[in-house]
This record gives sequence, C-alpha cells and structure tokens, in this order.
Amino acid sequence: MLRGIVSALLVACLLSGCGRPDEPVFRDRFYALGTLIDLSLYGANPEQQLEASEALALTFNTMHTDWHAWEAGRLAQTNTLLAGGRPFRPEADILALLQAANRLSLQSGGLFNPTIGKLIDLWGFHADEITVLTPPDPTAIQELLALAPSAADVVLEDGQLVSRNPAVQYDLGAFAKGYAIDRGIELLQSLGIAHAIINAGGDLRAIGRHGDRPWRIGIRHPRQAGVLASVELSEDESIFTSGDYERFFEASGQRYHHIIDPRTGYPAGQTVSVTVMHRDAATADAAATALFVAGPDEWTEVARRMGIRYVMLIDRDGVVHMNPAMQSRVRFETDTPEVRLSKPLS
Amino acid sequence: MTRADWLLIVVVAGCLPLLYARFWQPAGPANWLEVQAGDGPARVIALSPDRQLDITGPLGDSRIEISGGKARFLSSPCRNKTCIHAGWLDHTGELAACLPNRISIQLLGRHPRFDAMNF
Repeated sequence: MLRGIVSALLVACLLSGCGRPDEPVFRDRFYALGTLIDLSLYGANPEQQLEASEALALTFNTMHTDWHAWEAGRLAQTNTLLAGGRPFRPEADILALLQAANRLSLQSGGLFNPTIGKLIDLWGFHADEITVLTPPDPTAIQELLALAPSAADVVLEDGQLVSRNPAVQYDLGAFAKGYAIDRGIELLQSLGIAHAIINAGGDLRAIGRHGDRPWRIGIRHPRQAGVLASVELSEDESIFTSGDYERFFEASGQRYHHIIDPRTGYPAGQTVSVTVMHRDAATADAAATALFVAGPDEWTEVARRMGIRYVMLIDRDGVVHMNPAMQSRVRFETDTPEVRLSKPLS
Repeated sequence: MTRADWLLIVVVAGCLPLLYARFWQPAGPANWLEVQAGDGPARVIALSPDRQLDITGPLGDSRIEISGGKARFLSSPCRNKTCIHAGWLDHTGELAACLPNRISIQLLGRHPRFDAMNF
C-alpha cells in the first residue's frame, strides 16, 4: 500500500512539473505585408525550423507583392480589370481571396468594406509612411461616398468576375494580414508543425500549445505603455486588435486614423480599439475592423452576424465593452477598468 | 490515520513548493536586449551597463538607449516616429520596431510573462 502511494506520487510529480522540461521555442522574424512577422515554434526539430522559416518568409513575401494595395502587383491588375467593367477570368488564388473578403464584408453589413480603396487613398493611407497633414476636401469624400462601392457590386458569372460599379477598388488592408496568417498556418501544418504562433505586427494565430500549457498572449494597452490584459488561447485560435493608434495623423489637435467608416467617409470616432478572438485569422481580422466601425452601440449585432464569440471593445471614454464569454477569458493586468457586459453573443 | 496517510500528507506538502514554482512563475526581469536589423541575424546584448547604441538600417542610424534594465528607441530617421512613441520597454517579451528603418528590439529574459503580444 505504502509503496504504491509513494510510487504514484513520484510519477504524478514527474508528470505534473516537479521536473522542468526543456522549453525549445524557436523564433524567427522577417518583414512582409508592411509589418514585422514573428514566428514562434515549440518542439519543432532543427530541420523543421529551418524549412518553416524559409518557406514562410517566401510565402509572405509573395503575398506581399501580389496583394499590395497601392503598388504594382496582381491585386492592382485585378483592380484595373474590375474598373474596366468587363468580365475576366481571375486566377484561382486571387478569386479565393476576393470571395473570402466579399463574404465577410456582406456578413458585416458592409462595415468591413474591402472595396473602398479610393477612399483610403484619398485619406493618404496608401503610403508606407503617412505624409499627409490635413484631412481631405469634404466634397471629394462625398463624391466617393455617392459612388457607394461595395462587395455586392462584384459578381462571379460562369467563372468570370465582373464589377458593376467602376468605383470598386480593393484595398485588403483590413483582411490580407489575417488571410495570409491562415495560409501560413496551413503551410506550417503541412510541414508537420503542431505548435506555433504566427504574429504579424501584433495580430496572430496560434496552434497547439507551449509545452504543457496554453500559449499566453498579452494585449497591449491602447493608450499607455504596458499590458492591459492577457488571455490564454485554445489550441487553434486567432487574436486580432484594430486600434486608432496604428496608422494616423493629427491635424488641429484631432487624430485622423486609418479605420474609415464606409458610411460616413471619415475615421470611425467612437472606438479606441477592438480585440476579437476567433478560430481563423481572416475572420478575426475583418471582424475587428467591422466592430471598430460599429462602435459601442452596434458591435453586438455585427458580431452575431459574423459569428464572433469573443469581443473586447474599448470606447473613447476608456470603458471596456465585452460579452460574458470574453470576460471569462480575459485577465486584466492593470487596475480593472469600467466594464460594460453585453448579453451573450450566442 | 495510518502511517501511509501521514506519509501522503508529508509528500504532498513537500511537492507544493515545487508545483508552485513550476506553475506560478512571475515574469522574471529582462536580462538581454535582442536587436535585429533587416532580415539579418539578431544580436543579443546585455541590459547593463547603461549605454546608447547606433543601429544602421536602410534610412540611416536608429539610436537605442539602454538604461536601468529598460530599452527604447531614442531617435530614428523615420518620419512618423512610431518606434520612439512606443516608449520604454521594461518587461520581458516586449518589442518595438521601426518598420521603415527595419530595426526591431525585444527584451529577453528567462521567464517571459507572455509568448506574444497582441496590439
């Protein structure tokens, strides 16, 4: 009896942590899609690490070139063809990309609108570094709004794509990063990698675990240095945050950021940041933008339409809006802010 | 209570500190700064003594300040100065980058609180 108990305890200790296993996290970084891509691998062997690093960088660089919103590339060619208004047969990968963006746009009720590239350009956000110092002429904004480009204007007929609105110009800035991360995770899985994070400039998808515990993610405070909150991710989950601090300029003491409300033509003004957790990164990316635009009054309705289950929105007064499922997963790392709980999303 | 019960209590009590140490690790202080320019190899340097480093990127030199176990971008030839506005990094795992000049810095330590940062 005694020997049995002691043996069981020793085994339990060894399995549960009295021993400290090596924690072989491999990290690599490279620049693509206008940001820093950070790869973390747990438990991969050296051959997998090297292969994954090289293949991921190559894939991301290809996507960067292909999908760039304002430089010459396959997306730019597609925009030119769409503007011509004549049907054309797109390549399969571009078609899949645009169809995924269109589907999410329609789910969001157009609050994530990937076809307002002209408006984004008018605001001066089609540049690696923002050089504009003033907002655009209101008349020019109204003229573009009146043309009302939307994902519903682009239709597929007999394998051919055609735009019924010449104002459609795709800008996948609120979607391409997520879609690319999903492709990157598929690539890692095809190489036999089970535990990884692909972090593209602070937005990420994680698969597997960090050894015997889940991956731990810190959510940076949108208005001060340091960490606002933390979460542990499930074994295949993305976390994306859209914030007004990412790309902006200031004029006459007012901040003009890059998340444009397609309904008004101006930066969405009620939200500071939105954090979304969802399995696939493309949906999380588009939803973070749509919910940012929706703001504190409309976000629950849009989240339900997009099938999102975990949301944290911080409004311009610093109030944190969350659904109960999100609250159960978030741990605040600073003084707990004022929290307004919504009804459950599902 | 049998002898086995007492032994069980003693062994479990003895394991508790070990389990605590294993599962409840506070974030350890950062010990090193990882500096990467472009896609080149990262340099890992000690966070003491206090000093300033000039790291060369495609736009010119970015100056990194190390002080009191913290690090920050002090100056950089980019236009928007987002890297400088990121301020001091003082927790293991925190990262700042000057995207136009392709320079990133990240604090490293033995027990990072987080595996990645979302922002």
